Amino acid sequence: MTTLTVEHVARIEGHGTITVNVDSGVISEIRMDIIEPARYFESMIVGRRFDEAPLITSRICGICSPNHAITSVKALEAALGVEVSERTRMLRSLMLYGSYLQNHATHLYILAAPDYVGQPNVFPLAESHPDVVKRALGLKALGNELTTAIAGRPVHPITCVVGGFTAEPSREELSMFANRLHAAARDAAATAELFASFDVPVFETAGEMLAMASKDEYAIYDGDVCALDGGWCRPASEYTEFVTETVVGHSNAKHSTVDGRTFMVGALPRVNLNWDKLLPAARIVATKAGLRPVSRNTFLNNLCQAIELVDAAERCAVLCEQLLADTGSTQPVPYKIKSGSGTAATEAPRGTLYHTLALDDDGLVTAGNVITPTAQNLANLEADMRAFAPTVAHLPEEEFILRIEQLVRAYDPCLSCAVH
Amino acid sequence: MAARVAVIGLASDFGCQVQITNSPELLAILGQFELSYWQLATSGHLHHDYDVAVIEGAVTTEEHISLLKKVRATASKVIVIGACAVTGGIPGLATTGGDLESRVGCVYGDDGGLVACGRISPMPVHAVIDVDYHVPGCPIQPAEFVSVLQRALMGLSDKMPREPMCASCKVQENVCFYTKGQVCLGMVTRAGCGAKCVTLGRPCTGCRGIADDANLDSARQVLVDNGLLESELGRVLQLYNAIEEASR
Repeated sequence: MTTLTVEHVARIEGHGTITVNVDSGVISEIRMDIIEPARYFESMIVGRRFDEAPLITSRICGICSPNHAITSVKALEAALGVEVSERTRMLRSLMLYGSYLQNHATHLYILAAPDYVGQPNVFPLAESHPDVVKRALGLKALGNELTTAIAGRPVHPITCVVGGFTAEPSREELSMFANRLHAAARDAAATAELFASFDVPVFETAGEMLAMASKDEYAIYDGDVCALDGGWCRPASEYTEFVTETVVGHSNAKHSTVDGRTFMVGALPRVNLNWDKLLPAARIVATKAGLRPVSRNTFLNNLCQAIELVDAAERCAVLCEQLLADTGSTQPVPYKIKSGSGTAATEAPRGTLYHTLALDDDGLVTAGNVITPTAQNLANLEADMRAFAPTVAHLPEEEFILRIEQLVRAYDPCLSCAVH
Repeated sequence: MAARVAVIGLASDFGCQVQITNSPELLAILGQFELSYWQLATSGHLHHDYDVAVIEGAVTTEEHISLLKKVRATASKVIVIGACAVTGGIPGLATTGGDLESRVGCVYGDDGGLVACGRISPMPVHAVIDVDYHVPGCPIQPAEFVSVLQRALMGLSDKMPREPMCASCKVQENVCFYTKGQVCLGMVTRAGCGAKCVTLGRPCTGCRGIADDANLDSARQVLVDNGLLESELGRVLQLYNAIEEASR
């Protein structure tokens, strides 16, 4: 038997190793070992003051920290019975979409694109395709600047607290961002065109697909969780009833199933389940790019991220304009500390993110649970690897491994998140 | 030949590495070094052939210790970036209260024995190897990182601010949190962030570490004078400085 391994797979967040065992020409085993060290977040928040929970759990992930912070704050508000203003909801949505701009632009250009142009990283593209790199850095910088204007910095938000915000962007900033975001939608559309031009393998995942959905909007701040094949929608607060988590020996992140099947979360399931809620501009770009829901090709998750970039840029511009017209306040609303338990979910760039927090009478955390998108995806990712590997097994070893890595990167896995 | 730089991640959230990619200043000095290894950004393996090692994350496994020893034997300069690597940061919270085994049980349940091989109690990088340069903060500030990287490339000394952050608040004309009866760690935390959090309405939680010039005893007295519990200082300090706080 021969064994191929890729240790510390490059261009993903966190530490994972791919192992492929080949027995007389046949792949006998293929797996993704999650070697990211255990991080104990759910135990570290126990005993801490409730308002420290968002600060601590934000540090689960340096790339989608706004999503962790908001989800944790929402879980606290559910536990404490806090209702926030419409303006706070709008500003939080803007913060979540800002995170989409940051995350999708980073993943598409810096982590995923080099695979499709035969480069080890993005740096050589600065010389061969300066316009593409300029566009990439422009979108990423815009997401960073927007998040900084709302949250104080691009990584680990400062201003987002239970009940509202401790500071908010000025009118001048909102108006400047509205203009820049409308213009950025064109760059986002060019990103989708670029990814539509890349050859992706013909492949379909056998897994279920889950995403939040709502009758009113493209659900990322609020909504029920819906299953594509199962055809059901359930309140996110019931996630422990429909998501089953198990500990597996080769991974410091747990694996998840739903209705006994592995499943996928992220841009592809979101676009499949919320196609009619995409803004027209994004749907047009998607249609031009040849994407038709329902699509089950995991590799198209990247294209769906690019389509969401278009949607996010337009939505952020509109949200900035709505905030300019709105006269409400994001000042934290008053609340009383009491015991209770709360669960919340949001759609993070990589998929549905759940936080649960339980508090005692003094507002100290007694228990917490977090399920991240990548933790939900890992079992499906491995199932995809097993199904996909035989179709590329005839390729030379180096190319075979690259194809497997490409599949892994299509999920945009965040192993830091997965092991928390 | 240009200095070769390797960026290495231990236990972290990758936020400081993300901040490196968020750094427009970095583009200006790209010509001053060669990138030898960076798992987040480029394909390729870690060959021990670099001059400058940039390390993010806390030490939480036996593997990290052997890796760091190899790094120290290879690199002429070691830069640690972010609270996790500098002070133990948030991972250091796991050293307070319950033991590590009960934490494994809390997260993984009865099957905890299957996972987290070689785990050790979290510690900062300087607890394992000598460190030449420090970029504190959670997350790091891109401009400060680029300036420290340049100091390392040019062979200048490490130059972390020694004084506490309080003076920055005066410059920003912030209202002190103690006038509102809230604990703020600005008087013991290393300066250099421009009092960012306080300026945005949140008390300082000490992510840049305890300042060399900090006076913890008189800080505790300030809490008492403001009608707060003396023990609150240590409790809040645990967030990013649990390991150092325990040793004082």
